Amino acid sequence: MKPNSLTKTTAAICLCLTTALTAQARINVVATLPDFGAVAREIGGNNVDVTVLAKPTEDPHFVDARPSFVVKLRAADVLIDGGAELEIGWLPPLLQNARNSKIEVGRPGRVQASQGIRLMEVPAQLTRAAGDVHATGNPHFMVDPIIAKAVAAHIANAFAAVDPAQAAEYRTNEQKFETTINARLQEWGAKLLPYRGQSLVAYHDSWPYFGHRFGFNVSVFLEPKPGIPPSPSHLAEVIAQMKAQKIKAIIVEPYHNRKIAEKVAQSTGAKVVDFAQFPGALPGTDNYVQLINKLVNNLAAALK
Amino acid sequence: MWEVMFWPIVVCVLLPWLLVYLGLHVVRRGIIFIDIAMAQMASLGICVAVLLHLRLDGWPAFAIALGFTLLGAAIFSVTGKRSSQIPQEAVIGISYVVAAAAAVLLLSRAAEGDEEIKNMLVGNILLVSPLDVWKCFALFLLVGIVHFLLRRTFLLVSFDRDAAYERGWRVRWWDFLFYALFGLVVTSFVRIAGVLLIFSYLIVPAVCGINLADSLGKRFLIGCLVALIGGIGGLFLSFQWDLPSGAAIVCTFGVLLVLLGAIGIWRRCSASG
Repeated sequence: MKPNSLTKTTAAICLCLTTALTAQARINVVATLPDFGAVAREIGGNNVDVTVLAKPTEDPHFVDARPSFVVKLRAADVLIDGGAELEIGWLPPLLQNARNSKIEVGRPGRVQASQGIRLMEVPAQLTRAAGDVHATGNPHFMVDPIIAKAVAAHIANAFAAVDPAQAAEYRTNEQKFETTINARLQEWGAKLLPYRGQSLVAYHDSWPYFGHRFGFNVSVFLEPKPGIPPSPSHLAEVIAQMKAQKIKAIIVEPYHNRKIAEKVAQSTGAKVVDFAQFPGALPGTDNYVQLINKLVNNLAAALK
Repeated sequence: MWEVMFWPIVVCVLLPWLLVYLGLHVVRRGIIFIDIAMAQMASLGICVAVLLHLRLDGWPAFAIALGFTLLGAAIFSVTGKRSSQIPQEAVIGISYVVAAAAAVLLLSRAAEGDEEIKNMLVGNILLVSPLDVWKCFALFLLVGIVHFLLRRTFLLVSFDRDAAYERGWRVRWWDFLFYALFGLVVTSFVRIAGVLLIFSYLIVPAVCGINLADSLGKRFLIGCLVALIGGIGGLFLSFQWDLPSGAAIVCTFGVLLVLLGAIGIWRRCSASG
């Protein structure tokens, strides 16, 4: 081997080693849903490897488990889940199989995003008669940017606890996220101000937080009860309500049956608006702020 | 890989033998879709339990599901006449769609979202818990023992019904017992591994065995081998390429069936030519 190639080889080995070492130093983060994942990436920056289990276009209530999910959960230093039963159908058996004590509830490596957040629509009494209701309240809270700030703080705390060396950077990133949200909130509020107080129809009850934040009343749903497919009589009732309240928009998520919404829209003159809870589900929404921006723009365009 | 796939592999080793054996009966009787119809009857039972606001993992819910499975067994044994214009498969198909539609109706009244129910009824082989595997194995052993003790009767009733009738047996009662045991096996395996897998485990190994051998014993052995290779091979591929495990096993079965079918044709050709 010539000296020149030897130096090259040594350099290559060194490079490999450093990458390996830095890769080692990155903390493994698993997020159940893409919204938590997007915020985790902003807080963690280059110090974390974020894996998101559910796809953005997948219904968060039903996620198909694959072997890599268990592998990732085994190796996770931090797990971020909603903590509000949204993932109750699929996360518990995965965790049972992963048996990773670092991400057990109560450990610093477990972020339950809903902790410390006052959830809406907490049922006064739990009966199955009310449909597929979550006992802890409505779990679709991330679409309220102010709640997202609180979740970002949770995530930054967890990262700082698990990886104290980079704590300062996590705090800075969290501040940055907060500042961006604060700045954009004004803009978003202004865009939607002309339509404030209007009622909207949604396929599923995932938008009370968004409605609350931006001044809309999202209380008519195409589903007669959460998780139950629309029945003809219920749709007739929805159409009557829409006409009476002059509702102009129907919110649909990617995994809902758009045809039903279109049919209702046809008979009421309302518009179907593409909404999504998760960054990446709509084109051009790679991060959280872009997603909310898109939702605001789509809604404003439909109500114009 | 070992840590993640250990229990799924245990399922693929410990449980399929009984399904392969029952599959030989089912294919012989020409009632291919009975497993799906039975599973649907059981889920109708669970829907009733939901309507009654019962806990889905408790004994009462299980008893109702079992009751509906037995109802299915009764329907299939009563309609399985010795000679009839209406094939048994038609009754099975009708039971399936009516049970499925009734479940939709009940759920729309019960107003329980299907998350929990789906979870309850259709398991994912990747996420089996050791306790479930052992419970299912114990049940399979029991059913296996009953089938072993009564093997002559069951085999005659499935494979040579006319002879059974001529001997003056109460074929319908034996049918009922067969279907009832079958229903137990199906519902417990579906909860571990899902509908796709139970169907494949019942039909594919049996078809492969029938294709390649003539005696029941050989067919059973070939079937068990196919079940083992397909199950473990499918799990391996599922891990390698990160695919949903149940679907990966089913597709492996499909490929195996084509390969073995080709071997069968080649053998017959070379035997005749």
